[in-house]
Amino acid sequence: MPAKVALKRNPKKNPLGRVFSGNIGALAVGLKYFFDPNRITLLYPHEYIKLRQGYRGYIILIQEKCISCSSCARICPARAMKMLSVKVFDKRLKKEMVKKFPVINYNRCIFCGYCVDVCPTEALYHVPYHDLVYMNMQDMILSLEDFQKEPEDVTAKEGLPIKYIFDEKKGLVKVKYEEEKKEVVQPQQSQQQKENPQSKQVDKGGVS
Amino acid sequence: MASNISSGSVPHLPGMEVTELSKNTYEVYIGPAHPGSGHMRIIVEVDGDVMVRVDPDIGFVHRTMEKLAEGRDWIKNIPLFERMAILDACNITLPYVEAVERLLGTEPPDRARYLRTLLCEINRIASHLYGMGIFGVFLGHSTLYMWAFGDREVFIDLAEQMTGARLTHSYPVFGGVRRDIPDDFPENARKATKYMRNRLNEYAKIFLNNPNIRSRLENVGIMSKNLATELGIVGPNLRASGVRYDVRLNEPYEAYGDVEFEIPVFEEGDSLARAWARVEEIRQSLNIIEQAVDWLEKHPRENFMHEKFWKTAPKLYKDVFSGQIDYAGKYRVKLMPLFASLKVPPGKAFARVEAGRGEMVYYVESDGEDVPYRVRVVSPSFRNVIAFKYLMPGHRLMDLPAIYGSFDYFPPEWDR
Repeated sequence: MPAKVALKRNPKKNPLGRVFSGNIGALAVGLKYFFDPNRITLLYPHEYIKLRQGYRGYIILIQEKCISCSSCARICPARAMKMLSVKVFDKRLKKEMVKKFPVINYNRCIFCGYCVDVCPTEALYHVPYHDLVYMNMQDMILSLEDFQKEPEDVTAKEGLPIKYIFDEKKGLVKVKYEEEKKEVVQPQQSQQQKENPQSKQVDKGGVS
Repeated sequence: MASNISSGSVPHLPGMEVTELSKNTYEVYIGPAHPGSGHMRIIVEVDGDVMVRVDPDIGFVHRTMEKLAEGRDWIKNIPLFERMAILDACNITLPYVEAVERLLGTEPPDRARYLRTLLCEINRIASHLYGMGIFGVFLGHSTLYMWAFGDREVFIDLAEQMTGARLTHSYPVFGGVRRDIPDDFPENARKATKYMRNRLNEYAKIFLNNPNIRSRLENVGIMSKNLATELGIVGPNLRASGVRYDVRLNEPYEAYGDVEFEIPVFEEGDSLARAWARVEEIRQSLNIIEQAVDWLEKHPRENFMHEKFWKTAPKLYKDVFSGQIDYAGKYRVKLMPLFASLKVPPGKAFARVEAGRGEMVYYVESDGEDVPYRVRVVSPSFRNVIAFKYLMPGHRLMDLPAIYGSFDYFPPEWDR
């Protein structure tokens, strides 16, 4: 059903008088939030938002999965990703050969996630954090080794993990991230993360 | 022009440069580093306290978007055009995607259409709240500024859950969308809409019906129906002057033909009506979000990408979507490698949508290469800015922020 037009006018005068009722209404709302404020401020270095998986944060390469197709470098809108020629030992052919692998320049990256989405073997993935500091611009151009490591989540070391949940009355409510659940789930995930590529890689090596 | 400048008597104001033109007539330069305005300048000639001539001076954030687009691959232009108005990202890029889809001859499937509509409405609310917050602080009402920016966070969080990024979503791609909604999204969206509905009533109490604010907005900057159509004003500003024009109404795109909503049209055309038009639009957007979420929940998670692209998908792509690979996020729609070297058949296409600030128009011309031949962008703020020149003269200088803020200006959008 298509849209309808609804003719409206600015609200008219209240029988109690606009000035009187308007002031009372505004004061009542102000008082309500004076006694029951809705605080969403994040005390940033002491608290940090634990972002969910799927957030487009820093990008990590799994070198074993990369097939050097250059799709990521071609689709990168900011030209942050470049292919680098590296000498690697090819397990299948059992000899040293030159292959191309992507490296990233975080000076340019806009975190659009096209490279991760276009990768045909899922060799790139996002980590769900983005608050990293580099000491100089040169450090932001990652080497192939650095690109494979998950960067250290520095705020997670000292800060308190926080998440915002939706609420009908308050909009967003800041709650402590439930650590019991995550302590069980997160290490497993990270272990799988480390194990999986290797196991997949072994599989892949066998297949190809 | 300014022959007899007497610098001694002219007060120096922060962000303003004042030149005396003749006795009692001054030229005031507001901006480009104006507190709150972003990067634009208004040259105002005041006679005492009354504005005589107003000249909006734009071009401070011009980034040659149209020319840059001619040197980039088709898909790389989506993140580029997003930078015009990052707080309205889906609405801004959608017409470009639609125009290219027309050239490619693809049509997005139903689920993708609803997902796009959903994100467009989330963006519209976020963009209106941003505009209202700035409007509030212009009038010295910093409560509304804090409230609107805090409530905007609710919708930015929704968009983040949906797309993985707070502002620059790059969500629509040719033929579909890049992600499906997560499992807990419908529940969260319903909570957010319920919250925002109550909150809008409180906005009315503390801001719009507040006598202090009303007296500053009522009968200020009245734009008649004739003037609005003559100047080519678009968006909520046009509808606040009583013109029944909305792209969603006249030429429904995506899923707007299937959802039920109203287009609020106000008669008065003053600053207050423009503010109310935005509040009513947020209310309608909340309705659309609820309907879209209901639809998405009822229908199975398939058809998020055109089958032309999806037909050749290997098994891995389906594994990623269903969350089989645990280091990769769930419900992600992988892009085909052909997107990186997409060649669009020659032709001309035109598409428009109703963005947060009004009608957004793209004209795309292709000559069969991997980059566009020409992309013409007409953004709503550019069409609205001329109204300052005609509305402001005759008002006092203190009415300038009341008119300026009510138009929900956004300099990066009008400069492109």
